[in-house]
Amino acid sequence: MGRNRRSILLRAGRTFLCAAVLLLLPGARLAAQGQRNAQQAVPKTPRAASPKDLTGYWVSIVTELWRYRMVVPDKNDFQYVPLNSEGRKVASTWDPAKDQADGVACKAYAAPAIMQVPGRLHIYWQDDSTLRIDTDSGNQSRLFHFGGSSPQSEAPTWQGYSAASWEGDEVVDTRDGQGGPVLDSTGKLVPRRVLKQADYLKVATSHMRPGYLQRNGIPYSANATLEEFYDTFTDSYSGNTWLTVTTVVHDPQFLVEPLFAHAHFKKIPDASGWDPTPCRADQPR
Amino acid sequence: MRLTNATWKVTPRWLFLLFFLMLPGRLAWAQADITGEWSPRVYNDGMDVGDYTGIPINEAGRLRAESWHPDLPDLPENLCRPHPIDIGLRVSVSQLYISRELDSETRQQIGYRLHVAWQEPEQVIYTDGRPHPSANAAHKWSGFSTGHWEGNTLVYTTDHLKEAYLTRTGVPRSANATVTTRIKRYGNYLNVTFIINDPAYLTEPYIREYSWVYTPDQVIAPFPCEIIPEGTILAAGRVPSYLPGKNDILTDFATEYGLPLDAALGGAETTYPEYIKKMKTMKIAPRTTTEHYKRSQ
Repeated sequence: MGRNRRSILLRAGRTFLCAAVLLLLPGARLAAQGQRNAQQAVPKTPRAASPKDLTGYWVSIVTELWRYRMVVPDKNDFQYVPLNSEGRKVASTWDPAKDQADGVACKAYAAPAIMQVPGRLHIYWQDDSTLRIDTDSGNQSRLFHFGGSSPQSEAPTWQGYSAASWEGDEVVDTRDGQGGPVLDSTGKLVPRRVLKQADYLKVATSHMRPGYLQRNGIPYSANATLEEFYDTFTDSYSGNTWLTVTTVVHDPQFLVEPLFAHAHFKKIPDASGWDPTPCRADQPR
Repeated sequence: MRLTNATWKVTPRWLFLLFFLMLPGRLAWAQADITGEWSPRVYNDGMDVGDYTGIPINEAGRLRAESWHPDLPDLPENLCRPHPIDIGLRVSVSQLYISRELDSETRQQIGYRLHVAWQEPEQVIYTDGRPHPSANAAHKWSGFSTGHWEGNTLVYTTDHLKEAYLTRTGVPRSANATVTTRIKRYGNYLNVTFIINDPAYLTEPYIREYSWVYTPDQVIAPFPCEIIPEGTILAAGRVPSYLPGKNDILTDFATEYGLPLDAALGGAETTYPEYIKKMKTMKIAPRTTTEHYKRSQ
């Protein structure tokens, strides 16, 4: 009987101990987090804060709009571009030989089109706040600046100025079950909580030289701006690691509505197959 | 009081306590909101007979595709047939409405429901951890899908699909295909990426991606469809097709756009940049009589 009582007491004590630990843990966790936050008062560099690693070598896999990307389409073939009448007029004047002779063969390798050009990418951090993409097609380089602003005093370039940020995070007010604010025991508002963590790269590009959306002279103007969304994932079925790029071109001068385009790249282990080519006005890459 | 290993052995009660230990971290996380009305920004490529460009199709798939006849969609049994979900989101009228799928009794969320405008196919994506049914279970146009969240991306796997097609012009997709879909919201844009694995007709995963724009005032109209028993322009009972080697319109697409025929007929090799060099050594049919070529001159 005494043994049983001792056993019951032992079990009850153990349960109480565990419950106490559980009750204290969130507080301890918050305290630890507070200490960590204090230690992390110095903000991380964009490179260190990357939620995803886009670096490495990638090869484009052309499964969409193949005949607009793997070959040079015919003049006036803009079936999938919401081109307005002014844009159509400009498109009808396309002359690749003249572009080559005038030294503007890179018109179809500019930021709005370069991710659509079949080829390989090398993505790496140029410094702690600049992500760089080199392309073997057209030997172009794009710089994604985390922070900073467009140098309006400088002449526009094919790749323009790209401001980058990690997006997808969301912080919301903490609410109780009735939708009201949550206060702690001292009456202070409980801090807002992170609902979602950032997990994709958004790039906004402007300050571009006017060029082509497609290799057959479908134009974008000097006023065009570009939104891009970069994401990477590994497909569990095949084991392939993919980079997906969604491009949205805004150009009220030549487009009826924004143009959406997608490009897919498969990760490759190294630079094998890297095939640098100059800009060519009459070739698909 | 001395504690022994036996005293602290793992019991269901410990697992129960462990569950509570993990709870605060779980509550601090939520997913992106993908529900609502979405207006498509997608493009209908792959619309021509003989256009298999960009598809990693194998010989069996090519043979099957070559037998496809343009009159097939007009068969009575095909009139109200919805597109399979992996193409239905891409082609035609593809306004999309996504809602939460709730358990009718507990009102707990068990997944998401996709509703597409044309022919009103619906796809339920279960996120409650249920298993896929037996391989012998019924196959449907929208298959059976289970999903989970990877960060802000809803990732789901669909199988139990009926045999269907990858393009509206007959490139086949078998009933053994598995489709991995990723839905991701970029601000007011919604992106859906499909990766189709089909051991019967593809040699590599086939990746496709489409975008929608958040349009809260969008109204998806009903899509009534009535099967006419006596047929439309085709007499009931006739199944139009081409026998192997007898498809006399197969080369029209390649000729129309000045492509080497082998390139137009697809294959994994054609999706890589290296193929551009190879095409320069390939034969291209003369284009002088084609409509598209005349328009572009």
